[in-house]
Amino acid sequence: MTNIVMECRNLWKTYGNIIAVKDVSLQINEGDIKLIFGPSGSGKSTFLRCLAMLTPPDKGDVFLRNECLTKPGVDLNKARAKIGFVFQHIWLFRHLTALGNVELALRRVLKMSKDKARDRAMLALKEVKMEEWANHYPAQLSGGQQQRIGIARALAREPDIILLDEPTSALDPELTGEVIDTLRDLAKMGTTMLIVSHEMPFAREVADEMIFYDEGAIIETNLPELFFTSPESERAKKFMARLIKRTKRE
Amino acid sequence: MLQGVSTTLSISIFSFLLGLVIGLPLAFIRTYERGFAIFVDIFEKVFRGIPELVLMLLFYRGVGLYVPFPFDNAFFTATFVLGLRSAANQSQIFRGAIRGVGEEQMVASRSLGLSRLQSITRVMIPQVFIFSTPGLGSEYALVVKDSSYAFVIGVLDIMKRAEQIRKIPPYDFVTPYIMAALLYILLTFPIATWFDTWGGRKKNKLGL
Repeated sequence: MTNIVMECRNLWKTYGNIIAVKDVSLQINEGDIKLIFGPSGSGKSTFLRCLAMLTPPDKGDVFLRNECLTKPGVDLNKARAKIGFVFQHIWLFRHLTALGNVELALRRVLKMSKDKARDRAMLALKEVKMEEWANHYPAQLSGGQQQRIGIARALAREPDIILLDEPTSALDPELTGEVIDTLRDLAKMGTTMLIVSHEMPFAREVADEMIFYDEGAIIETNLPELFFTSPESERAKKFMARLIKRTKRE
Repeated sequence: MLQGVSTTLSISIFSFLLGLVIGLPLAFIRTYERGFAIFVDIFEKVFRGIPELVLMLLFYRGVGLYVPFPFDNAFFTATFVLGLRSAANQSQIFRGAIRGVGEEQMVASRSLGLSRLQSITRVMIPQVFIFSTPGLGSEYALVVKDSSYAFVIGVLDIMKRAEQIRKIPPYDFVTPYIMAALLYILLTFPIATWFDTWGGRKKNKLGL
């Protein structure tokens, strides 16, 4: 039996006359790794933020394990505690060390004791291979290391799902590898993830399903293999051709 | 005259702290509670627009006439008025600092499940202080200097003492004021500089 972790139904979000999310419905099951890709400015980030209720959608519903988050009166802080979010520009807390960044929610949201929070945070840092850097401030770390801390911060609460918004696209090309390795480890552990990314070799390797998103809507959902060999929609075909060309050049 | 130093210092510190306790929440209200923004703006405009001297006389002589307690107390009135004016200034300083810290920090914090208040106290405020350091140092110096207006309502601060010494023989007009000037420099300079250095060092270390 499949176990739905997160679901959205007929989600809408507009900014002025730009439609960022247009009637989008999606289901993510336990252990699923789904990858969203598409042109920049198509609304992928907004869609992800709507799922985490960081940006309230205009219409439609979001469910986290049967709980409707779009209903008025829902404790969103409690819900967000169960959703991990990794940002494109990382956004670590600059006044806290790596450990402090990971510990914060454990202490203040999950109300763990100091010792327990520290142990759990160190475990999360270990999972991203950053335990030796626990006492460094973000400014003292490279972009790739910072993003691994960002992943540890999202991971430490053992959320039901982790949403990742282009986790590698703000990094220098030589630093994306270490972050991709970290994501690969998460995938092996069976973490449920929805990733916005254009890292195609990685997508092909770990994604159960790929979603082509353009102009605020899901255009095509398919197996990674099929996207690489024979995308169904014309737009996806064109986009894939451009992406593959770019990847080869690199 | 040295007795005046403790009075000047108490007025300055109390009003600076009053300004902090009121100014910091006002800055956050102004940023996050759109509905109340207009009230914060009016408060800032009023207290930044009226000269300190006018405010002091207005509250001591005017308001004090109808509300004797506590406005018949010159020390209280001076601290109160300076504190409110400092709150208006500090609110602006902190608002700029909040913008400097960036909405991103707030979003990242909320994404972890922290409430808005938790995000403000745990994530925003520590960074806001660092961002506001040069401004906060100047504001402290301003409060110390403007506390000298308190002598017109009879507070026995450095300025009042200098006035008193001037009026006794041999009627030296220069030395008391030079003494006062030196004392004011001593009270402002080290603390304002400390703010700057502390903030500069933190900014460097944290890459802010």
